[in-house]
Amino acid sequence: MTPLTDQSRRAFLKRSAALGLAGSAGPFVMNLAAIGEAAAATSADYKALVCVFLYGGNDYANTLPPYDQASYNLYQAARANLAHARDGLAPTLLDPVSALAGGRQYALAPTLSPLMPLWSAGRMAVVLNVGTLIQPTTKAQYTAGSVRLPPKLFSHNDQQSFWQASNAEGATSGWGGRIGDLLQSGNGSATLTCINASGNAVFMSGRSAIQYSVGSNGPIALLNNGSTLFGSATAAQTLRNLMTAPSAQLLANEHATVSKRALDTYAQVNSALGGAPAANFSLFPTGNLADQLKIVARLISVSQELGARRQVFFVSIGGWDLHDNLVAQHPGLLATVANALKAFYDTTVSLGIADRVTTFTASDFGRTLTSNDDGSDHGWGSMHFVLGGAVQGRRFYGTPPAIGSNTPDDVGQGRLLPGISVDQYAATLATWFGVTPSQMATVLPNIGNYNPSSWNLGFLG
Amino acid sequence: MSETQCDVAPPVPPADDSDGANWGVLATASLLAACGGSGGSSSSSSAPPATVAPTPTPAPTPAAPAITAAQASRFLQQATFGATTAEIARVQTLGFNAWITDQASQPRTAHWDWLVANNFAATATMNNSTGFDNSVWRQIITEPGQLRQRVGMALSEIMVIGVDGVNLSWRQMNGGAWLDVLLDNALGNFRTLMERVTYLPAMASFLTYLGNRRANATTGSLPDENYARELMQLFTLGLYRLNADGTLQLANGQPIETYTQTDVSQLARVFTGLVLDSTDNTNPDRYRRPLIFNNGIRETGASTFLGATVPAGSDGPTALRIALDTIFGHPNLPPFIARQLIQRLVTSNPSPAYVGRVAAVFSDNGQGVRGDLLATVRAILLDSEARGDATLTSTSGGKLREPVIRLANWARAFGATSAGGLWPIGDTSSTTTRLGQSYGRSGSVFNFFRPGYTPPNTAIANANLVAPEFQITNDVTVVAYVNYMQATIQNGIASDVRADYSPLTAIANDSAALVDQVNLLLTANQLSAATVAAIRAAVDSIAITATNAAQNRVYTAILLTMAAPEYLVQR
Repeated sequence: MTPLTDQSRRAFLKRSAALGLAGSAGPFVMNLAAIGEAAAATSADYKALVCVFLYGGNDYANTLPPYDQASYNLYQAARANLAHARDGLAPTLLDPVSALAGGRQYALAPTLSPLMPLWSAGRMAVVLNVGTLIQPTTKAQYTAGSVRLPPKLFSHNDQQSFWQASNAEGATSGWGGRIGDLLQSGNGSATLTCINASGNAVFMSGRSAIQYSVGSNGPIALLNNGSTLFGSATAAQTLRNLMTAPSAQLLANEHATVSKRALDTYAQVNSALGGAPAANFSLFPTGNLADQLKIVARLISVSQELGARRQVFFVSIGGWDLHDNLVAQHPGLLATVANALKAFYDTTVSLGIADRVTTFTASDFGRTLTSNDDGSDHGWGSMHFVLGGAVQGRRFYGTPPAIGSNTPDDVGQGRLLPGISVDQYAATLATWFGVTPSQMATVLPNIGNYNPSSWNLGFLG
Repeated sequence: MSETQCDVAPPVPPADDSDGANWGVLATASLLAACGGSGGSSSSSSAPPATVAPTPTPAPTPAAPAITAAQASRFLQQATFGATTAEIARVQTLGFNAWITDQASQPRTAHWDWLVANNFAATATMNNSTGFDNSVWRQIITEPGQLRQRVGMALSEIMVIGVDGVNLSWRQMNGGAWLDVLLDNALGNFRTLMERVTYLPAMASFLTYLGNRRANATTGSLPDENYARELMQLFTLGLYRLNADGTLQLANGQPIETYTQTDVSQLARVFTGLVLDSTDNTNPDRYRRPLIFNNGIRETGASTFLGATVPAGSDGPTALRIALDTIFGHPNLPPFIARQLIQRLVTSNPSPAYVGRVAAVFSDNGQGVRGDLLATVRAILLDSEARGDATLTSTSGGKLREPVIRLANWARAFGATSAGGLWPIGDTSSTTTRLGQSYGRSGSVFNFFRPGYTPPNTAIANANLVAPEFQITNDVTVVAYVNYMQATIQNGIASDVRADYSPLTAIANDSAALVDQVNLLLTANQLSAATVAAIRAAVDSIAITATNAAQNRVYTAILLTMAAPEYLVQR
């Protein structure tokens, strides 16, 4: 297949953007020719993982409220002043390919409705009660203290770190980066394997793979690419030399290392992005999360020029620590996420690469089911979403937890004891991405505590 | 030991001190012995500086060596928002110890009063935070009580509020009230600080205990646990039991948790019932006053946490006092706070012995007082790890300067003023165009960076070191910072904040003199000879006869210095 010229790709993106805006069915009526045209800009065996981290600990109960009458009644009783009205949930009732046991039903929060087309098309899966664990853990084992548990449950920073890195704060590598360790050799530029569009996260650092950060408009040009500084070319060159000079002092040397990477990588990334101007990615709404996902989409669209075959991306949005004002603020946050994810997915469809991009949510922890009057407190297990063309969607994975306080599935106040570990969630993603079973323990050091038959939850086939 | 023995001889002319700080080991040891720790509560703080050096002739043996300009500048990098020519001379005159004492008595204009005087308490600004950044920048750049300012910012990164997370009207006034509490107590007692912070409306909103209700058996709702958890985890004790030197206590090789979820839930009961003292929203005054208790929503049953019990039926202030006394008395508090204050002022990786020395002063200032922050800060700044030469050549000593402090360094070193008096520097949070950090605008209670952060997969991590400020340092920010400083150095900010480069343009023809002066003010002469040579060559590449040569040579010297890792890491 002939690679697209910049001009033809721009034309294509404009066309597809217009299609995407035409209506909810838009992305799915793309003709085969258009899909093939776009695929040329992305390597045929390209794959991307996109982590969407919800900082602060997302409230699971109002994200995926129970819907069947018996379950809804328990949910409503536990958080009368926080609960969604059941009537309002009918439009977002999830109708899985096969019904859950026991008549259990869930709905999406009403403001997640932009994701309903993905669910219905089988491109979104719901993973039930995922959380940090070291090994399979029952309520009896938790109560008896007879198994190892992640350190500092319910603590934001430590559980963020454990989610991302399998270790509490101070961890020196994360599983996104460790996946990168295994697969970066297939990329033309190893630097562009793990790309963070939202600052720094331990998730993205491997043992050898490094985290590369981009702004929402791409990399930052030093001095607007000027060749002189205060009128002097010597001064401009000296600036670069000083910024990047190695040092025996470890902190100074690391600062220089980051600067050198930023300056060395700028031209390559900026040039590639020139072929994918932001204006052509018109499906995205405004907002910080959408901006992050937009630069991810732009980078994916030029991944072939960047020589990338496997890339891990990280985006994030904060504000989820809703001890207060849950009813007022949570719906809006969910809407922001849903609109950005929908735009991102539709863009990958437009680019013809939806089946090569898998997006998944993560968060510090779930929250309590029990109300603290106008919000909920720190919890443990939570509900998560996986989206993409490769997803075996319109399905639930995992077991619906009992609803209430001090059930077999919670450790008090509806803090869910995870039924699925982050390791299993991650292993499923990593398997799709190309990590082999024999490599899995290097990515996820605790995965050996789980029966290998449970490493792949199946949501990616 | 009397205080005067800690003070140093009268200033020597700022001779060429490019060899850097050069204390003799013996002299360092004796001075530290004289000044470390117990000198904190000197009652002579009201004495004018002139009385400090009454001896007309230098005493032969016991006198401490003269403080070089470089040593004074180095001290000011740690203790203030940046050195100035005048402050360097002042430190040389007073000596380190007396300078610290003098700083504690420097006056300060309250944020609140300045905000009111400049109309930011008006109705027009009740729905935004306008004025907050103005007041912050004005204080850190211009207030004479610089030690208080620097410690205040350190405290703002421990007892964190992000003003955008305050869910009340007049966020600038709430932010001002918070910083006034921190600054008023920055050199006071930590117990008072804990209480004032707890009763702050801004904190109650930010950590969601404003109007927090006792458990309701009917609805099943329970008290909000947010403040109980973060007060212990972040503000005072930390997650794991510490030895007196800040190292982890271990049991069977494992750290021991400081508190349990039950402690959190029980302590949360104490932080119920706190409400604003007025419903008057026509002005922001209630946000400056302490919260009061509404007994209608307050828990009155017994609560047990950290081995202490608040008896059933205690009134609100009593219950809160017992809770805060319990935390204040916990053995984790001294090393937990000592280590973080050292990290904010001096070095990311203090030795356990250093933490232990400072924690001991926090525990007891020598007069039986726990929590004396002036004594604690004095111990931090006079310690051999702060003042000695070893850090200057160590591969791991020092800390990455915070971006906000770098900008303040520039403003102070080069005499920046605000034409309109309002310091419209603004929110500097943007990672792509500004500093990636803005004082008082952390995104969460976890601050811009964590004290235990280590940049993953780096030589720093491999050496088991931490480097908190690297949490906000990446491919985007390192370039954006240089771009922002380039524009700022050349143009000032917002057509209002401008440096006075006249002392530098006067010597701009002499690249050696120019670079030496910039090096002294910004890095305490810590640029290497090779870096100095490179900067001089860059300066000299601009012909003296060129248009605006003097200005461009000055800009070049400053920007290249501020972009150099040898400046960025404060040692």
